[in-house]
Amino acid sequence: MEAGTALTLPIHLSKRTAKSPNTPFFSSPFSPFQTRFRTLNLSSPRSSPSPSSADSYKGPKPKRDFLADWVSQNDDVVRTLPIYVGAASLLTVLLNRALSGIAPVADAGSSQSRADLLTLGLAVTNILTGLVWLSIRPKSIIPVVPEGVECKRVCTGLPEVAVTELLWAWESLSDVTCCQSLIIVYESSCVLQIGVAAESSRGNGEAVSVDANKLMQGSIYQGVMKSGAQSYLANLSLYPGRSELPFLPPNTQAVILQPLGEKGIAIIGGDTIRGFTTSDQAWISFIGEKLDSTLAKYEKHLHVS
Amino acid sequence: MSTIISNLRPCLPSHKPTFTKSTLSSSSPPTTLRVRATFQDDSKPPNTTQQQQLNLSVLRFTFGIPGLDESYLPRWIGYGFGSLLFLNHFLGTDSATITPAQLTTEVLGLSLASFSVALPYLGKFLKGAQPVDQTTIPDGTQQIFVMSKDIADGLKEDLAWASYILLRNTNAIAALIFVQRDICARGYWNIPDVSSKEILLDWFARKIEKTDLFDLKDTLYFPQDADSEFPELVSKGTSSLLVQPVLVTNKSAANLPEPVGFILLSTAARYAFSTKDRAWIAAVANKLGGWCGVSLEFKPQ
Repeated sequence: MEAGTALTLPIHLSKRTAKSPNTPFFSSPFSPFQTRFRTLNLSSPRSSPSPSSADSYKGPKPKRDFLADWVSQNDDVVRTLPIYVGAASLLTVLLNRALSGIAPVADAGSSQSRADLLTLGLAVTNILTGLVWLSIRPKSIIPVVPEGVECKRVCTGLPEVAVTELLWAWESLSDVTCCQSLIIVYESSCVLQIGVAAESSRGNGEAVSVDANKLMQGSIYQGVMKSGAQSYLANLSLYPGRSELPFLPPNTQAVILQPLGEKGIAIIGGDTIRGFTTSDQAWISFIGEKLDSTLAKYEKHLHVS
Repeated sequence: MSTIISNLRPCLPSHKPTFTKSTLSSSSPPTTLRVRATFQDDSKPPNTTQQQQLNLSVLRFTFGIPGLDESYLPRWIGYGFGSLLFLNHFLGTDSATITPAQLTTEVLGLSLASFSVALPYLGKFLKGAQPVDQTTIPDGTQQIFVMSKDIADGLKEDLAWASYILLRNTNAIAALIFVQRDICARGYWNIPDVSSKEILLDWFARKIEKTDLFDLKDTLYFPQDADSEFPELVSKGTSSLLVQPVLVTNKSAANLPEPVGFILLSTAARYAFSTKDRAWIAAVANKLGGWCGVSLEFKPQ
């Protein structure tokens, strides 16, 4: 995911900060994010305090690591630097030996020859290190803008504390990961459908609704419930069961299917192939457990509504 | 189930549309015109570029020795060959008559050795690299889990959950959460030898008062040598320290964010918290901030 998060998506940020008058649950004490992962300077491994925040904190503050920042911001240059340094040194040693008039013998009988061999060894080490760094460079995958309509559907039968937690989960996933769509089905009801959804075939700008019963009868849901473990479809286009998720944008790149205990599932759609990292998967797993615990307390509200 | 639907502008792909005009048949009314739009994706790189990339993965290797990090090999070679260059200079048979050419080679070799020693450090900050060292437990620490009394059930559950996942999903070995006078401390801490939770909570409260973290509004991240920055709060040997403020929006003050607490994470490993980790920790702080109302009558005791 590191490679795909350098882009900022002002469209989605502005949509989330806009408060719709038709959604009263947005007046809850849910506070907006103070950090947006996608707008952070990802090349800097340090975070120094913002000078514009009028901070009254007077304690110790971290010092800026200029070398680390420079390396992060010039990744391509740093990866090839050992190759150029090693190659230049290798040529210099050969030129030095050729121009100094020393006999071109390949042994270590003289100090000069020993020094040359050691320096050549170091030069080759640098060249190989640069080549290894090039081989492990992460491939940058461009996110795909999802095709569909914005959608915010929340089960109104739930108390405010549960709705707040659901919305917090959506805000966290959409800000920290490549998540663009989130669907939560619990106790045979669609509790939450938010983000970008597929547009209805009627063409009236409405989103395709989630048929919870049909989803639960499908192989995707059955497989996840049977295993009880998270399922990560890193490249959704290769998965034949894609047709069971018609509510997701048709060009959704990756999907995580997170079981919520034994009674529900969270479907998280992303805009980047292999966009969810191992860390994201671990966090989503724990968030799923928390949502299951919360929704289990209020499942009777789902049936009443 | 009644739902609330709020549909905003449709999201269309940003590809360039191209329009083609179909031919009109003679039998169709002259006013009918069909236009077909197709989308071309110009953002994808051509396949030929991907095919031309060299496969350099054959250069990667491992000795197969458990615990041995081969990324430090340039450093060891730099130390070894640099030492041999010194030995060659002072103990070589021709040391009495060192030529300028040999001096040139030796200076170049020592420069290369220094560069090789520095390479693993530079490699830590490249994209995709894991800069964190192995996490160790500082000596003299004990594993604890204490929480203030009289916390609302929902907040108590969230504090327990938050401290648990922060220790599980990051490299932190100690977590301290302080939200509107409520304390939750979990993990390995260098604490006094007491068995009472009340005394321990009071100990943490006094330590927090000395740190002046109540007014913090920005994230503080010390990737190394953090024990010298907060010696009264963190254990000796702590390298990485992250303090994430918990903020709420003060509607009575032009919607400015106001601090109501913080999350403090520490570990003995350097560069322990990646950008992704910090984003998730901020998300957890945001969740805890949701429990605090806009009332900001908070004063440290």
